[in-house]
Amino acid sequence: MGDSETDLERDAQSRKAIDASARLPVVFMMASGVFWLLFGTVLAFIASFKLHSPWFLADQAWLTFGRVRPAHLNTMIYGWASMTGIGVLLWLQARLSRVRVPLRKSLIAVGVVWNFAVLAGTVAILAGGSTSVEWLEFPPWVAAILGALFVVVMAASVLTFVRRNVEHVYVSQWYLFGAVFWFPFLYIAGNLVIHGTGASGVAEATANWWYAHNVLGIWFTPIGLAAAYYFIPKVIGRPIHSYYLSLLGFWTLALFYNWAGTHHLIGGPIPLWVQTVGIVASMMMFIPVITVAINHHMTMVGHFDKLEYSPTLRFIVFGAMSYTLVSVQGSLTALRVVNETTHFTHYTIAHAHLGMYAFVTMVLFGSMYYILPRLTGREWSSGPLIRAHFWTTGLGMVLYWVGLTIGGWIQGQMLKNPDIAFIEIVQTTLPYLWSRSFAAALMSVGHFIFAYLVGRMLYEWATDRGKDRLPPMLGGDQ
Amino acid sequence: MTLIYGLIWGSWVVFGIATVWAFAWAVRSGQFRQVSKGSKVLFDEDEPVGEMTDAFPDVPDDQLPDPDNEGNDG
Repeated sequence: MGDSETDLERDAQSRKAIDASARLPVVFMMASGVFWLLFGTVLAFIASFKLHSPWFLADQAWLTFGRVRPAHLNTMIYGWASMTGIGVLLWLQARLSRVRVPLRKSLIAVGVVWNFAVLAGTVAILAGGSTSVEWLEFPPWVAAILGALFVVVMAASVLTFVRRNVEHVYVSQWYLFGAVFWFPFLYIAGNLVIHGTGASGVAEATANWWYAHNVLGIWFTPIGLAAAYYFIPKVIGRPIHSYYLSLLGFWTLALFYNWAGTHHLIGGPIPLWVQTVGIVASMMMFIPVITVAINHHMTMVGHFDKLEYSPTLRFIVFGAMSYTLVSVQGSLTALRVVNETTHFTHYTIAHAHLGMYAFVTMVLFGSMYYILPRLTGREWSSGPLIRAHFWTTGLGMVLYWVGLTIGGWIQGQMLKNPDIAFIEIVQTTLPYLWSRSFAAALMSVGHFIFAYLVGRMLYEWATDRGKDRLPPMLGGDQ
Repeated sequence: MTLIYGLIWGSWVVFGIATVWAFAWAVRSGQFRQVSKGSKVLFDEDEPVGEMTDAFPDVPDDQLPDPDNEGNDG
């Protein structure tokens, strides 16, 4: 294996140099992400509370449900998850290509303008300027800015890839490259068709759900899976179980996911074949999902005890298991016989959060626990607080999903019965909506703990404190 | 309208060609050969297979589970 003493030193130094190059852009993206996470959390709690207590903050137009809820969705999607996701993406690509992050100043500028664009879009929604198209509520001019900024992220990805010092393209890089090229096309095409004159009426609804489903499917999912494929093997110190399966998983996801969005319109006034295409594609998604599930599980077998020791592993494994669960649930929900009950109920909200929260957000938390200490050269300040973050968000998410899934199913069964008065259905869902608010409170506590941990780390970094607490694992003195 | 249709169909063609090209490149450059070797690019001499690289701040390094050499046959 060569001269191990110098090899060791060389590997450690090259890793440190790459992390140093990622420092400013990635920390900026992630810190912005945490700000939007808190912002979106407050909006989420207000929206949730209104559903069972409609008097709550009801006398201000900008705080009504119809504005707060889309503001929550958009700050979480384009603020928290996209900015943090871009941070994770830049870092992973640099690490896997073993080159420094390129275009660093431009990327920081992208982060700054991105924040203002999300802020402007959120203010527009709260002021009543929403476009009323779900997942695309930002005014078109905000969307134009975000789309233009993404060109820099694409350029950085291409440069990282072209300059790479590793012959082999690891599976995570396939996923990241997919995300980086699919998302801008999706975002620009979605905005042009929906806000332009390209689609109206049912065609607009079809484009809307093609877009909304794919934001999760071909933007956040590839980033989440890329992170899982990197961090699970890296943290436990064992290569992925079957590398062949991981490649099969990527190419089948690339082939099928894009078609599945129309399952959101089952039973709607769109051509039957368009719905059926969505259902078939949803079924085909079993292939990439099962390959990923087998692969991650078989990698973890014999190593589950390590969950006790690593915060990154806890969050990422929670996220990876949720990916399997949300995908299987999504495929089954696409079946007409299931969909006729669940459509237009709280069940769908539970499903969406299982994807965006239990999978994507938990994976992003786990990634940040690994990446941030390596960028700032500071260790996390408290183990008990990290555990508290994990348990409040984990249990909160489980409670959220169980409550709304059961409540939504009952709601759907009642809605199918014309003899039941609508107000009776509303009253039946109340306890489940309370469980949702309780879960939201738990998750909010977790988010504020996390924000404190990140804030404390950045404070120590900015004021040049806390260097002495750095363990050897993170490059500190033995 | 023509512009939008041009953009949509144009990008459809460009993305289609790009996907086929990427797949062909991957096959040609041997990305699907020696796949078990590819799975080890995450590790190096300093952070080898068998070593954990993340822990809670209140868990000392010597209390981590013993390193294992499972799968370290490269």
